[in-house]
Amino acid sequence: MEKKDGFLIRFYAVLKYEVLWHLRKKKVLGIMILAFGLATLSLALPVVLGNMYNRPIEPDPDRITSISMFSGELWYFLLAIILGMNSISGEFESGTIIPLLTKPISRTLVFLSKMASTLLIMIGTYIFLFTYLTLGNILLYGPQNNLHLISLQLIGNILSTLVWVSIVFAIGSVTKSSQMAALGSFGIWLGLNLIVGIYALFTGDTWFLTYFPGGGQTGYLKVEGSPIPTAGPQIKTGTGSIAENLVTLALNPSAIVNFIRFEIGGGEGIKILEVYTETLSYVVSRSFIVAIVYVFLFSFIAWYALKRAQISD
Amino acid sequence: MEIPIEIENLTKKFGSITAVKNATLKVEPGSIHGFLGPNGAGKSTTIKILLGLLKADEGKAKIFGKNALDGSPEIRQNVGYMPELPKFPKHLTGEELLELYGQMYGVPKDEIKKDIPHLIELVGLSGREQNKIGEYSKGMQQRLGIAQAMINDPELLILDEPSIGLDPVGMVEIRNLLKSIAKEGRTIFLSSHLLNEVQQICTHITIINKGSIQASGSLSDLRNGLSLEPSIILEVLNLNDNIVEAVKTIPNVKDTVVDGQRLRVNLNTREDVRSLVSQKITSMGGVIIEMNQTIETLEDVFLKLVTKPER
Repeated sequence: MEKKDGFLIRFYAVLKYEVLWHLRKKKVLGIMILAFGLATLSLALPVVLGNMYNRPIEPDPDRITSISMFSGELWYFLLAIILGMNSISGEFESGTIIPLLTKPISRTLVFLSKMASTLLIMIGTYIFLFTYLTLGNILLYGPQNNLHLISLQLIGNILSTLVWVSIVFAIGSVTKSSQMAALGSFGIWLGLNLIVGIYALFTGDTWFLTYFPGGGQTGYLKVEGSPIPTAGPQIKTGTGSIAENLVTLALNPSAIVNFIRFEIGGGEGIKILEVYTETLSYVVSRSFIVAIVYVFLFSFIAWYALKRAQISD
Repeated sequence: MEIPIEIENLTKKFGSITAVKNATLKVEPGSIHGFLGPNGAGKSTTIKILLGLLKADEGKAKIFGKNALDGSPEIRQNVGYMPELPKFPKHLTGEELLELYGQMYGVPKDEIKKDIPHLIELVGLSGREQNKIGEYSKGMQQRLGIAQAMINDPELLILDEPSIGLDPVGMVEIRNLLKSIAKEGRTIFLSSHLLNEVQQICTHITIINKGSIQASGSLSDLRNGLSLEPSIILEVLNLNDNIVEAVKTIPNVKDTVVDGQRLRVNLNTREDVRSLVSQKITSMGGVIIEMNQTIETLEDVFLKLVTKPER
């Protein structure tokens, strides 16, 4: 039998091994069914409510760009858990890591293949859901403007999900436990959503939320001529809001974001004060960089833990 | 020809426990080398160090002359390995597993596909290759373990307890399979705690206990090196002191042990001296009811080595 150095043959083999694992696991099928159900619900609900209250759905050519298609921290987090929690740790738990790592492939190649397969399945899931939602919205609301912006939403969703995937991978690789990967990631997600939020509420400092995985700080799009700093739509600055912000930026390239604070007392009730402003392009660029830094940082931890792992059982 | 496996003063500790202690051994090309020891002796740990799954604390290990301790994947290119109680992804079919593992050796899919039917047949899995591994019995997974270890046509085959989980018929089949593989000129390094198995297939043996190598060499070298003598066991009517003394005068008789009518005659030679012994006993009035010449088995060697006090 001819033996070749073929990096690509080896990479393809591990990639296929991983993709088949993802596709044949019932939980991946489960999340796809859940997502399909949610997507169907988001399409059907306005129709059902409209019929109930005799308010028929009217054509809306900007529907696609005004809704967030499968965005939100909880969704990113759940998808990451489903895709990543067993990817590395499951190999250790089932013992399949032994025959895998005794093949003439490096642990780096195994890690890269696992990341790549997760990315592929994630992209596949989003493409399927986006196609379904786009067609559904066209069917219900008529021809849509700016369909090309869907690709920006797709990029944003993938990057936001990838942040959580890398966190799940890192915890799974360090602890070699799928349960720890899921629970640890959930702890981080919950901690960031609750503890950091509560801290921000008490101290009034919210700028640092931008630098944690999650929704980030809340700002408002500046409305020209309006003295009210919260007059425009809400803008979140975190890694979980990249998709919506990218679309908003594409539609409003020169948009400004107001950041505010509340002041209570002085006999005037609650006053909303504009603290500072940032351009939306800056907000988007920063969240992109923060997300990429997290992806690299946690991927490095996951890779290093796999590289150093000693397999005794 | 490069030495398939060479280990020198290899040491591996897990905390305060020394799993492998200054282990030194050499596996000759083309041999079936048994790595024998009780459970927890350090066999699997040694193998895992060789394959880069564990890191050694001290010592050297080479596979075909190349350093096996740096974790380089190239070391494993000409090695087939079957783990103890192998676990394979249950969602794959046997055929898919062989195909993917084969590609991990850098062999193109088309070439692997040609070899898979032969391998499947060789290990007795014909007709089941399309089934998911999750549907395989333990024995079938064991067979698949051997097939996947041979998917790269390796020069060195490392098998960790290959008979575990097999029924007696399966064990015989696997033994015959290993013998036929060895005839093709491959080297087999076989870890086992089954003395009988090792004795039946192996040309060379290393005995390990509590992490230390107790003995290493060919089976006959081990017997000779450890001065393990054959003996004759007899059951004799009218056995008395005169008969016993007369037997002691026969050349190459080392000593005797009497237990009722049973007489054990320990010898200094492997030559068959049963006729001399029987003539002597009969001439002295004894009646031989039963007589057997025994050569110590590997079990005797093994038990002596693993039960002796630690060095």
